[in-house]
Amino acid sequence: MNAAIDHVMQRQDTWLGRASRAARQGMPTGYHKLDSELHGNGWPLGNTIELLSDGNGLGAMGLFLPAMEQLSQQGRWQVFIAPPYIPYAPLLEARGIDSQQVLLVHPQNRQDLLWSIEQALRSSTCSAVFAWLGNTTFSYSELRKLQLAAAGTDVLSVLFRPRQAGHNHAPAPLRLEMKEYRRLNILKQRGGNQYVDVNLGTEDDIPGQPQLWELPAYAPVQHAQTPAFSA
Amino acid sequence: MSLWLCLRFEKLPLQALTRRDKGLITATAILQQQRVLQACDTAASLGIKPGMRVATVRALDESMRLLERDPSLEQQCLKQLCCWAYSISPSLHIYRDNCLLLEIGGCLTLFKGLESLLIQVHSDLSSRGYSYLTGLAETPKAAWLLSHTTDDHQRPLNERLQPLPLRLLDMFPRQLDSLARAGLWQFSDILNLSTQALGRRCGKDMIHFIQQALGTAHDPQPDYSPPPQFRDDYWFGYEVKANQELLPAIQRLLQALCQFLRNTQLQCQQIQWQLYGIQSNLHSLTVASSLAHSNWRQWYQLSQLHIEQLTLDMGVEGISLQCLNLSAGNNHTGDLFNAAEQSEPLHSLLDRLQNRLGLQSVKKIAGRNEHLPEFAGYSSCDNDGNNTVDNNIDKHDDSHAQPSISGAYRPFWLMPEPQQVNQSARGLYWGGGLNIMEGPERIEDNWWLEPVSRDYYVALGQRGQKYWVYRDRLQNRWFIQGIFA
Repeated sequence: MNAAIDHVMQRQDTWLGRASRAARQGMPTGYHKLDSELHGNGWPLGNTIELLSDGNGLGAMGLFLPAMEQLSQQGRWQVFIAPPYIPYAPLLEARGIDSQQVLLVHPQNRQDLLWSIEQALRSSTCSAVFAWLGNTTFSYSELRKLQLAAAGTDVLSVLFRPRQAGHNHAPAPLRLEMKEYRRLNILKQRGGNQYVDVNLGTEDDIPGQPQLWELPAYAPVQHAQTPAFSA
Repeated sequence: MSLWLCLRFEKLPLQALTRRDKGLITATAILQQQRVLQACDTAASLGIKPGMRVATVRALDESMRLLERDPSLEQQCLKQLCCWAYSISPSLHIYRDNCLLLEIGGCLTLFKGLESLLIQVHSDLSSRGYSYLTGLAETPKAAWLLSHTTDDHQRPLNERLQPLPLRLLDMFPRQLDSLARAGLWQFSDILNLSTQALGRRCGKDMIHFIQQALGTAHDPQPDYSPPPQFRDDYWFGYEVKANQELLPAIQRLLQALCQFLRNTQLQCQQIQWQLYGIQSNLHSLTVASSLAHSNWRQWYQLSQLHIEQLTLDMGVEGISLQCLNLSAGNNHTGDLFNAAEQSEPLHSLLDRLQNRLGLQSVKKIAGRNEHLPEFAGYSSCDNDGNNTVDNNIDKHDDSHAQPSISGAYRPFWLMPEPQQVNQSARGLYWGGGLNIMEGPERIEDNWWLEPVSRDYYVALGQRGQKYWVYRDRLQNRWFIQGIFA
């Protein structure tokens, strides 16, 4: 076939009709329920994934820990751009993620933020790029530039954005919304189901490993040692 | 068979001073002891001749630029040229004060023949703003002699030297004088004489020189050895006002640097750019890389980041590249069959980010075997952490005991500073009410400095978030330190 056409066909954002869809395999997320809902049965590498979430602590990062664990074997950088806090190295080590691969980037302004994301995506030295875009609004073309930078690579690229960004269009082929703790809603998925709620159960948690997700069944602790909240 | 190439820079006194303003045509004459030593073409066409007095020159042309000869600058130019020539042949030396002698017999195969070697020499030298004359011969001295004439180097050496005038040997003025009185003017006159007969007339030194030129006596020369530092410059010849226009010069200098590094099997970790204006030094930029290497494309990318951020308030006349600390090359052999190995090296992204955003903006995280969470996990911008003593100890510790967190809950995110949690009669409040759901886990440490005693709990936020909070037992206050992501 013509090389130019081949090139276009290779791109993740080219619509191919129904026939050749199954060919694209995603990277297993580590959660069976989510895998079964995702087109390609896993994270679409070489695409931007938007994760819409308000506030930390709903488990947005936990979603990617199994992936980080797998990618850690590649020995490339896992870049955190404008992260809200510091990833806790002992936890990463306990999960089998090499904390030496984690790079924290703190750009000073919006322009540098976009530049750093693009650089990280375009360079072949990263296996994962997590970027926190914050509350600023980004135009479609700016996000499209990131999507183009990710296209054709094998990088797991995740953009964390606030939930209100879900009202606007975005070029990312996969957009997920973190509704509640451990409950995802697939807002948009190219070639797959949309508006599906996914409840991530505990059955995929690895026994014996430090769990982030689910703490033991919640029983309101009323131990003797619980201190009184006296001022 | 050895073959020597002599590059004679006849106009070095002039070009050392004027090659900076290429393109700019100002009639220039170089003076030595108040007499004209050399004149540029424009000046020559105005009738300026070597040996003229300053007053005569002034009478001919008022506006003539007169420059005093600068021998130290000439030597500097020759050294730079040696640096360049080292990439052609490793055995070379400076001869007299304006010549380079290169042994090229051994590198003809490398350059695919004499013809293409000379073409390479020509293009390199003319882009540097030098004009030169060449001589080719089997011995260095003969190559120098033959640089004064043009002929076919295929003929036997003896035959080629014959037509040369004896006055070229100006280091033996007394001997030449006595030969001239005897009516000997050309090499052909003396080459046929017996050595004894000639020796009586002109002494041992000159005989020795001629024997060296003919290849019948030894002519050992100490080879040039490259300097321990690199320094090169580029003069635009006009004022550069746009940052982008600097890039071609930067590329050329970096290529020269990396050629030098490759020749000397060295690498560098830091380079310095100096931008020169008309009067003074405008800017100096330091570009650093986390790993020493000799790849000009990477240096170019990093320099480009700096140049883009630069604001030029004055025109740039020249740019120089310096590299003071060179380290022995540590060449990495790539894997021929593993494509991933051949891709971009890991540090290149780190360098790009650091060069644009600043060293402080890019950090790495690390774990330590400590009890207090803020010490057990931390971020630092130490980009070459493995070399520090501190980390070596950590590594050592780690081999004994990984920071053991099994059985305990540890959050994904750690706050750089614990934040205080409001407490009231109804409970804890941090962006919403908090409910304790797990704990406590007591962590006590640091008793030798400032005792710390904390009870850690997992608290549940309003929307199901899980936080890592602790009660400081000594202050009896609550803090939040981590978030279970």
